[in-house]
Amino acid sequence: MSATPGQANPVRAFVEQVWGSIFRHGLPSTDKVAARTALTNFFLHIHPVRVKRSAIRVSYTLCLGGLSFFLFILLTITGLFLMFYYIPSVDQAYQNIKDLQFVAVFGDIIRNMHRWAAHGMVITVWLHMARVFYQGAYKPPREFNWVIGTLLLLTTLLLSFSGYLLPWDQLAIWAITVGTNMAKYAPIVGPYTRYLLLGGNQVAQGALIRFYVLHVIALPLIGFLLMVVHFWRVRKDGFTGGL
Amino acid sequence: MATVERPAGAARGARASTGPELATPPLVVRRREEEETVVTFPTLVWREFLAGLGMFVFLMAVSIQVNAPLLQKANTAITPNPAKAPWYFVGLQELLERFPPIMAGVAFPTFVIVFMMLTPYLDKNPSRRPQDRKVAITMFTIYLCLAVAFVLIGALMRGQAFNFDPGLLFGHPHLSSPT
Repeated sequence: MSATPGQANPVRAFVEQVWGSIFRHGLPSTDKVAARTALTNFFLHIHPVRVKRSAIRVSYTLCLGGLSFFLFILLTITGLFLMFYYIPSVDQAYQNIKDLQFVAVFGDIIRNMHRWAAHGMVITVWLHMARVFYQGAYKPPREFNWVIGTLLLLTTLLLSFSGYLLPWDQLAIWAITVGTNMAKYAPIVGPYTRYLLLGGNQVAQGALIRFYVLHVIALPLIGFLLMVVHFWRVRKDGFTGGL
Repeated sequence: MATVERPAGAARGARASTGPELATPPLVVRRREEEETVVTFPTLVWREFLAGLGMFVFLMAVSIQVNAPLLQKANTAITPNPAKAPWYFVGLQELLERFPPIMAGVAFPTFVIVFMMLTPYLDKNPSRRPQDRKVAITMFTIYLCLAVAFVLIGALMRGQAFNFDPGLLFGHPHLSSPT
Protein backbone atom coordinates (compact mmCIF):
# COMPACT_ATOMS: atom_id res chain seq x y z
CA MET A 1 0.00 0.00 0.00
CA SER A 2 2.54 2.59 1.12
CA ALA A 3 4.39 4.02 -1.84
CA THR A 4 8.01 3.02 -2.18
CA PRO A 5 9.95 6.21 -2.87
CA GLY A 6 11.23 6.73 -6.39
CA GLN A 7 9.60 3.72 -7.99
CA ALA A 8 5.88 4.31 -7.19
CA ASN A 9 3.51 5.05 -10.01
CA PRO A 10 2.26 8.56 -9.17
CA VAL A 11 -1.16 7.92 -10.78
CA ARG A 12 -1.61 4.75 -8.81
CA ALA A 13 -0.52 6.50 -5.62
CA PHE A 14 -2.98 9.30 -6.27
CA VAL A 15 -5.85 6.87 -6.90
CA GLU A 16 -4.98 4.96 -3.77
CA GLN A 17 -4.86 8.13 -1.72
CA VAL A 18 -8.27 9.27 -3.01
CA TRP A 19 -9.80 5.82 -2.47
CA GLY A 20 -8.24 5.55 0.97
CA SER A 21 -9.52 8.98 1.95
CA ILE A 22 -13.10 7.93 1.11
CA PHE A 23 -13.09 4.37 2.43
CA ARG A 24 -11.02 4.12 5.59
CA HIS A 25 -11.01 0.36 5.59
CA GLY A 26 -10.74 -2.42 3.07
CA LEU A 27 -13.23 -5.08 2.19
CA PRO A 28 -14.67 -6.88 5.22
CA SER A 29 -12.22 -9.79 5.13
CA THR A 30 -12.45 -10.42 8.87
CA ASP A 31 -15.01 -9.55 11.54
CA LYS A 32 -12.63 -6.99 12.96
CA VAL A 33 -12.26 -5.12 9.66
CA ALA A 34 -16.01 -5.40 9.04
CA ALA A 35 -16.76 -3.93 12.45
CA ARG A 36 -14.35 -1.05 11.87
CA THR A 37 -15.88 -0.38 8.45
CA ALA A 38 -19.37 -0.27 9.91
CA LEU A 39 -18.22 2.08 12.68
CA THR A 40 -16.55 4.58 10.37
CA ASN A 41 -19.16 4.60 7.59
CA PHE A 42 -22.06 7.04 7.94
CA PHE A 43 -24.50 4.93 5.94
CA LEU A 44 -23.59 1.64 7.57
CA HIS A 45 -23.86 3.28 10.95
CA ILE A 46 -27.66 2.95 10.75
CA HIS A 47 -27.04 -0.60 11.99
CA PRO A 48 -25.30 -1.57 15.19
CA VAL A 49 -21.94 -3.24 14.54
CA ARG A 50 -23.06 -6.61 15.91
CA VAL A 51 -26.48 -8.14 16.40
CA LYS A 52 -27.78 -11.49 17.52
CA ARG A 53 -27.83 -13.94 14.67
CA SER A 54 -31.45 -14.83 15.43
CA ALA A 55 -32.54 -11.16 15.26
CA ILE A 56 -31.74 -10.84 11.57
CA ARG A 57 -32.82 -14.27 10.37
CA VAL A 58 -34.86 -13.68 7.22
CA SER A 59 -37.50 -16.17 8.37
CA TYR A 60 -37.89 -14.00 11.50
CA THR A 61 -37.99 -10.47 10.06
CA LEU A 62 -39.26 -11.37 6.58
CA CYS A 63 -37.35 -8.19 5.59
CA LEU A 64 -40.64 -6.29 5.89
CA GLY A 65 -39.38 -3.22 7.73
CA GLY A 66 -36.39 -2.93 5.43
CA LEU A 67 -38.55 -3.37 2.35
CA SER A 68 -40.93 -0.64 3.57
CA PHE A 69 -37.95 1.71 3.93
CA PHE A 70 -36.61 0.66 0.53
CA LEU A 71 -39.99 1.40 -1.06
CA PHE A 72 -40.03 4.80 0.66
CA ILE A 73 -36.66 5.61 -0.91
CA LEU A 74 -37.79 4.31 -4.30
CA LEU A 75 -40.96 6.42 -4.04
CA THR A 76 -38.90 9.49 -3.14
CA ILE A 77 -36.67 9.03 -6.19
CA THR A 78 -39.43 8.24 -8.69
CA GLY A 79 -41.54 11.01 -7.14
CA LEU A 80 -38.71 13.47 -7.69
CA PHE A 81 -38.66 12.58 -11.40
CA LEU A 82 -42.43 12.95 -11.63
CA MET A 83 -42.22 16.41 -10.08
CA PHE A 84 -40.19 17.66 -13.05
CA TYR A 85 -43.19 17.07 -15.28
CA TYR A 86 -46.10 17.75 -12.99
CA ILE A 87 -47.86 21.05 -12.40
CA PRO A 88 -50.54 20.96 -9.69
CA SER A 89 -53.14 22.89 -11.66
CA VAL A 90 -56.58 21.55 -12.60
CA ASP A 91 -55.98 22.77 -16.16
CA GLN A 92 -52.60 21.11 -16.61
CA ALA A 93 -52.22 18.19 -14.22
CA TYR A 94 -54.12 15.66 -16.30
CA GLN A 95 -52.24 16.57 -19.49
CA ASN A 96 -48.94 16.32 -17.58
CA ILE A 97 -49.79 12.76 -16.63
CA LYS A 98 -50.72 11.99 -20.24
CA ASP A 99 -47.36 13.40 -21.32
CA LEU A 100 -45.61 11.24 -18.74
CA GLN A 101 -47.46 8.24 -20.09
CA PHE A 102 -46.87 8.88 -23.78
CA VAL A 103 -44.23 11.60 -24.37
CA ALA A 104 -41.54 11.69 -21.69
CA VAL A 105 -38.81 9.07 -22.11
CA PHE A 106 -39.40 6.32 -19.54
CA GLY A 107 -42.12 8.54 -18.07
CA ASP A 108 -44.63 5.68 -18.11
CA ILE A 109 -42.28 3.32 -16.30
CA ILE A 110 -41.43 5.90 -13.65
CA ARG A 111 -45.11 6.69 -13.09
CA ASN A 112 -46.09 3.01 -13.03
CA MET A 113 -43.32 2.25 -10.59
CA HIS A 114 -44.37 5.12 -8.33
CA ARG A 115 -47.94 3.84 -8.33
CA TRP A 116 -47.20 0.17 -7.73
CA ALA A 117 -44.50 0.90 -5.15
CA ALA A 118 -47.04 3.05 -3.28
CA HIS A 119 -49.52 0.17 -3.13
CA GLY A 120 -46.64 -2.11 -2.21
CA MET A 121 -45.58 0.12 0.67
CA VAL A 122 -49.09 0.13 2.16
CA ILE A 123 -48.97 -3.68 2.06
CA THR A 124 -45.42 -4.11 3.43
CA VAL A 125 -46.06 -1.65 6.28
CA TRP A 126 -49.23 -3.56 7.21
CA LEU A 127 -47.44 -6.88 7.08
CA HIS A 128 -44.53 -5.46 9.11
CA MET A 129 -47.01 -4.43 11.79
CA ALA A 130 -48.59 -7.91 11.76
CA ARG A 131 -45.25 -9.67 12.06
CA VAL A 132 -44.14 -7.41 14.95
CA PHE A 133 -47.42 -8.14 16.70
CA TYR A 134 -47.28 -11.90 16.24
CA GLN A 135 -43.77 -11.99 17.63
CA GLY A 136 -44.70 -9.81 20.59
CA ALA A 137 -41.88 -7.46 19.64
CA TYR A 138 -43.88 -4.45 20.89
CA LYS A 139 -43.49 -5.52 24.52
CA PRO A 140 -41.38 -3.50 26.99
CA PRO A 141 -39.06 -1.75 26.45
CA ARG A 142 -40.34 -1.25 22.90
CA GLU A 143 -43.85 0.07 23.67
CA PHE A 144 -43.25 3.54 22.32
CA ASN A 145 -41.61 2.33 19.14
CA TRP A 146 -44.84 0.46 18.40
CA VAL A 147 -46.72 3.76 18.83
CA ILE A 148 -44.31 5.43 16.39
CA GLY A 149 -44.88 2.50 14.04
CA THR A 150 -48.63 3.09 14.22
CA LEU A 151 -48.05 6.75 13.32
CA LEU A 152 -45.84 5.60 10.42
CA LEU A 153 -48.65 3.35 9.19
CA LEU A 154 -51.06 6.30 9.29
CA THR A 155 -48.50 8.52 7.53
CA THR A 156 -48.11 5.86 4.82
CA LEU A 157 -51.88 5.73 4.30
CA LEU A 158 -52.11 9.52 4.16
CA LEU A 159 -49.17 9.72 1.73
CA SER A 160 -50.88 7.24 -0.56
CA PHE A 161 -54.25 8.94 -0.18
CA SER A 162 -52.87 12.42 -0.91
CA GLY A 163 -51.08 11.11 -4.00
CA TYR A 164 -54.27 9.52 -5.25
CA LEU A 165 -55.73 12.89 -6.23
CA LEU A 166 -52.77 14.21 -8.21
CA PRO A 167 -53.41 12.60 -11.64
CA TRP A 168 -56.67 14.56 -11.64
CA ASP A 169 -58.68 11.92 -13.48
CA GLN A 170 -62.10 10.52 -12.66
CA LEU A 171 -60.63 7.82 -10.42
CA ALA A 172 -58.66 10.41 -8.45
CA ILE A 173 -61.29 13.04 -7.85
CA TRP A 174 -64.08 10.62 -6.93
CA ALA A 175 -61.96 8.46 -4.66
CA ILE A 176 -60.94 11.62 -2.81
CA THR A 177 -64.56 12.82 -2.75
CA VAL A 178 -65.68 9.54 -1.19
CA GLY A 179 -62.69 9.48 1.15
CA THR A 180 -63.04 13.03 2.42
CA ASN A 181 -66.81 12.61 2.79
CA MET A 182 -66.01 10.15 5.56
CA ALA A 183 -64.35 12.99 7.49
CA LYS A 184 -67.69 14.84 7.47
CA TYR A 185 -69.22 12.39 9.93
CA ALA A 186 -67.00 13.38 12.83
CA PRO A 187 -69.06 15.35 15.33
CA ILE A 188 -68.55 19.13 15.30
CA VAL A 189 -65.06 19.11 13.75
CA GLY A 190 -65.99 16.86 10.80
CA PRO A 191 -67.21 19.43 8.26
CA TYR A 192 -64.45 21.85 9.29
CA THR A 193 -61.82 19.15 8.82
CA ARG A 194 -63.12 18.39 5.36
CA TYR A 195 -63.19 22.09 4.45
CA LEU A 196 -59.65 22.53 5.75
CA LEU A 197 -58.41 19.51 3.83
CA LEU A 198 -60.07 20.48 0.55
CA GLY A 199 -59.65 24.23 0.83
CA GLY A 200 -63.34 24.48 -0.07
CA ASN A 201 -66.50 22.43 -0.19
CA GLN A 202 -65.64 20.58 -3.39
CA VAL A 203 -62.64 18.71 -4.69
CA ALA A 204 -61.24 21.50 -6.89
CA GLN A 205 -58.06 23.59 -7.35
CA GLY A 206 -57.84 24.31 -3.62
CA ALA A 207 -57.84 20.60 -2.84
CA LEU A 208 -55.32 19.80 -5.56
CA ILE A 209 -52.67 22.24 -4.31
CA ARG A 210 -53.23 21.21 -0.68
CA PHE A 211 -52.92 17.52 -1.47
CA TYR A 212 -49.85 18.25 -3.61
CA VAL A 213 -48.04 20.15 -0.86
CA LEU A 214 -48.98 17.50 1.70
CA HIS A 215 -47.86 14.75 -0.66
CA VAL A 216 -44.48 16.10 -1.76
CA ILE A 217 -43.33 18.05 1.31
CA ALA A 218 -45.27 17.80 4.56
CA LEU A 219 -46.05 14.09 4.82
CA PRO A 220 -42.66 12.85 3.51
CA LEU A 221 -40.91 15.07 6.08
CA ILE A 222 -43.15 13.82 8.88
CA GLY A 223 -42.62 10.26 7.69
CA PHE A 224 -38.86 10.74 7.48
CA LEU A 225 -38.65 12.18 10.97
CA LEU A 226 -40.75 9.35 12.39
CA MET A 227 -38.58 6.82 10.55
CA VAL A 228 -35.37 8.29 11.97
CA VAL A 229 -36.77 7.99 15.49
CA HIS A 230 -38.15 4.51 14.72
CA PHE A 231 -34.76 3.22 13.53
CA TRP A 232 -32.89 4.96 16.33
CA ARG A 233 -35.13 3.29 18.89
CA VAL A 234 -34.77 -0.11 17.23
CA ARG A 235 -31.08 0.23 17.97
CA LYS A 236 -31.41 1.73 21.45
CA ASP A 237 -34.15 -0.60 22.69
CA GLY A 238 -32.27 -3.62 21.39
CA PHE A 239 -33.26 -6.33 18.94
CA THR A 240 -35.78 -8.95 19.94
CA GLY A 241 -34.55 -11.99 18.07
CA GLY A 242 -35.62 -15.61 18.12
CA LEU A 243 -38.58 -16.76 20.15
CA MET B 1 -16.91 -4.32 36.16
CA ALA B 2 -19.50 -5.70 38.52
CA THR B 3 -17.75 -4.28 41.58
CA VAL B 4 -17.72 -0.85 39.99
CA GLU B 5 -21.38 -1.01 39.09
CA ARG B 6 -22.75 -2.24 42.39
CA PRO B 7 -22.11 0.90 44.41
CA ALA B 8 -23.57 3.02 41.60
CA GLY B 9 -26.62 0.79 41.48
CA ALA B 10 -26.96 0.91 45.24
CA ALA B 11 -26.77 4.69 45.21
CA ARG B 12 -29.45 4.86 42.53
CA GLY B 13 -31.57 2.39 44.47
CA ALA B 14 -31.38 4.59 47.52
CA ARG B 15 -32.71 7.56 45.57
CA ALA B 16 -35.71 5.88 43.88
CA SER B 17 -38.06 3.52 45.66
CA THR B 18 -38.34 1.35 42.52
CA GLY B 19 -34.57 1.10 42.60
CA PRO B 20 -33.88 -2.63 42.18
CA GLU B 21 -35.43 -2.88 38.70
CA LEU B 22 -33.93 0.38 37.49
CA ALA B 23 -30.47 -0.65 38.58
CA THR B 24 -30.49 -4.01 36.83
CA PRO B 25 -30.70 -3.40 33.05
CA PRO B 26 -26.93 -3.79 32.43
CA LEU B 27 -27.08 -7.29 33.90
CA VAL B 28 -29.90 -8.23 31.49
CA VAL B 29 -27.86 -7.01 28.56
CA ARG B 30 -24.89 -9.03 29.70
CA ARG B 31 -26.95 -12.20 29.90
CA ARG B 32 -28.20 -11.72 26.35
CA GLU B 33 -24.69 -11.32 25.06
CA GLU B 34 -24.25 -15.03 25.55
CA GLU B 35 -26.27 -15.52 22.36
CA GLU B 36 -24.29 -15.75 19.17
CA THR B 37 -23.83 -12.43 17.36
CA VAL B 38 -22.80 -11.54 13.84
CA VAL B 39 -21.47 -8.38 12.22
CA THR B 40 -24.25 -6.42 10.48
CA PHE B 41 -21.81 -5.48 7.75
CA PRO B 42 -21.72 -7.43 5.50
CA THR B 43 -24.17 -10.10 6.84
CA LEU B 44 -27.27 -7.93 7.27
CA VAL B 45 -26.41 -5.34 4.63
CA TRP B 46 -26.06 -8.11 2.05
CA ARG B 47 -29.50 -9.51 2.88
CA GLU B 48 -31.02 -6.04 2.72
CA PHE B 49 -29.37 -5.47 -0.63
CA LEU B 50 -30.74 -8.73 -2.00
CA ALA B 51 -34.25 -8.01 -0.67
CA GLY B 52 -34.17 -4.51 -2.16
CA LEU B 53 -32.84 -5.80 -5.46
CA GLY B 54 -35.56 -8.46 -5.60
CA MET B 55 -38.25 -5.88 -4.88
CA PHE B 56 -36.82 -3.52 -7.50
CA VAL B 57 -36.72 -6.20 -10.18
CA PHE B 58 -40.27 -7.25 -9.32
CA LEU B 59 -41.55 -3.66 -9.45
CA MET B 60 -39.70 -3.00 -12.71
CA ALA B 61 -41.28 -6.10 -14.28
CA VAL B 62 -44.75 -5.08 -13.09
CA SER B 63 -44.22 -1.49 -14.23
CA ILE B 64 -43.21 -2.59 -17.72
CA GLN B 65 -46.22 -4.89 -18.02
CA VAL B 66 -49.01 -3.03 -16.22
CA ASN B 67 -49.84 0.63 -16.67
CA ALA B 68 -51.03 2.67 -13.72
CA PRO B 69 -54.73 3.44 -14.16
CA LEU B 70 -55.68 6.73 -15.79
CA LEU B 71 -59.34 7.41 -16.60
CA GLN B 72 -60.96 10.40 -18.26
CA LYS B 73 -60.07 13.86 -17.00
CA ALA B 74 -61.73 14.74 -13.70
CA ASN B 75 -65.29 15.94 -14.13
CA THR B 76 -67.44 16.89 -11.15
CA ALA B 77 -70.57 16.63 -13.32
CA ILE B 78 -70.15 12.90 -14.02
CA THR B 79 -70.15 10.59 -11.01
CA PRO B 80 -68.75 7.18 -11.82
CA ASN B 81 -70.88 4.28 -10.66
CA PRO B 82 -69.79 2.94 -8.25
CA ALA B 83 -67.58 5.65 -6.75
CA LYS B 84 -65.04 3.97 -4.49
CA ALA B 85 -62.40 5.16 -2.05
CA PRO B 86 -58.80 3.92 -2.53
CA TRP B 87 -58.66 0.22 -1.74
CA TYR B 88 -57.16 0.58 1.76
CA PHE B 89 -60.09 2.84 2.73
CA VAL B 90 -62.70 0.75 0.95
CA GLY B 91 -63.09 -1.29 4.15
CA LEU B 92 -64.19 1.91 5.88
CA GLN B 93 -66.57 2.63 3.02
CA GLU B 94 -67.92 -0.89 3.45
CA LEU B 95 -68.48 -0.22 7.17
CA LEU B 96 -70.36 2.97 6.26
CA GLU B 97 -72.80 0.86 4.26
CA ARG B 98 -73.56 -1.30 7.28
CA PHE B 99 -73.43 1.02 10.27
CA PRO B 100 -74.51 4.57 11.08
CA PRO B 101 -71.89 7.08 9.89
CA ILE B 102 -71.00 8.21 13.40
CA MET B 103 -70.08 4.61 14.20
CA ALA B 104 -68.41 3.55 10.96
CA GLY B 105 -66.80 6.85 9.99
CA VAL B 106 -65.67 8.07 13.40
CA ALA B 107 -66.07 5.70 16.34
CA PHE B 108 -64.64 2.53 14.76
CA PRO B 109 -61.53 4.05 13.15
CA THR B 110 -60.77 6.16 16.23
CA PHE B 111 -61.19 3.12 18.46
CA VAL B 112 -58.93 0.99 16.22
CA ILE B 113 -56.15 3.60 16.09
CA VAL B 114 -56.25 4.40 19.81
CA PHE B 115 -56.52 0.73 20.80
CA MET B 116 -53.64 -0.14 18.49
CA MET B 117 -51.41 2.55 20.03
CA LEU B 118 -52.34 1.43 23.56
CA THR B 119 -51.76 -2.26 22.81
CA PRO B 120 -48.24 -2.46 24.34
CA TYR B 121 -49.46 -0.70 27.50
CA LEU B 122 -52.60 -2.83 27.87
CA ASP B 123 -50.92 -6.16 27.16
CA LYS B 124 -49.31 -6.92 30.53
CA ASN B 125 -48.30 -10.44 29.54
CA PRO B 126 -44.48 -10.44 29.58
CA SER B 127 -44.11 -13.60 27.46
CA ARG B 128 -43.41 -13.43 23.75
CA ARG B 129 -44.02 -17.13 23.11
CA PRO B 130 -47.14 -17.74 20.99
CA GLN B 131 -48.43 -20.48 23.30
CA ASP B 132 -48.59 -17.96 26.17
CA ARG B 133 -50.36 -15.30 24.13
CA LYS B 134 -53.47 -17.06 22.89
CA VAL B 135 -55.87 -14.21 23.71
CA ALA B 136 -53.74 -11.46 22.14
CA ILE B 137 -53.04 -13.51 19.02
CA THR B 138 -56.70 -14.52 18.63
CA MET B 139 -57.89 -10.91 18.97
CA PHE B 140 -55.34 -9.57 16.52
CA THR B 141 -56.05 -12.34 14.02
CA ILE B 142 -59.79 -11.63 14.17
CA TYR B 143 -59.07 -7.94 13.60
CA LEU B 144 -56.77 -8.69 10.63
CA CYS B 145 -59.29 -11.08 9.07
CA LEU B 146 -62.13 -8.58 9.47
CA ALA B 147 -60.03 -5.76 7.97
CA VAL B 148 -59.00 -7.89 4.99
CA ALA B 149 -62.55 -9.23 4.51
CA PHE B 150 -64.08 -5.75 4.50
CA VAL B 151 -61.50 -4.48 2.02
CA LEU B 152 -62.05 -7.49 -0.27
CA ILE B 153 -65.84 -7.21 -0.10
CA GLY B 154 -65.70 -3.47 -0.73
CA ALA B 155 -63.18 -3.73 -3.53
CA LEU B 156 -64.38 -6.84 -5.34
CA MET B 157 -68.03 -7.48 -4.45
CA ARG B 158 -69.57 -4.02 -4.59
CA GLY B 159 -71.13 -3.16 -7.91
CA GLN B 160 -73.28 -0.31 -9.14
CA ALA B 161 -74.40 2.15 -6.46
CA PHE B 162 -72.06 0.19 -4.16
CA ASN B 163 -74.66 -2.62 -4.00
CA PHE B 164 -73.47 -5.95 -2.66
CA ASP B 165 -72.97 -8.25 -5.65
CA PRO B 166 -70.76 -11.31 -5.07
CA GLY B 167 -71.35 -12.30 -8.70
CA LEU B 168 -68.75 -9.64 -9.62
CA LEU B 169 -66.10 -11.98 -8.30
CA PHE B 170 -66.86 -14.39 -11.13
CA GLY B 171 -67.39 -11.74 -13.76
CA HIS B 172 -71.18 -12.04 -13.68
CA PRO B 173 -72.57 -8.84 -12.24
CA HIS B 174 -76.07 -9.20 -10.89
CA LEU B 175 -78.55 -8.07 -13.52
CA SER B 176 -81.36 -6.85 -11.28
CA SER B 177 -79.88 -3.37 -10.76
CA PRO B 178 -79.38 -1.91 -14.21
CA THR B 179 -78.51 1.74 -14.55
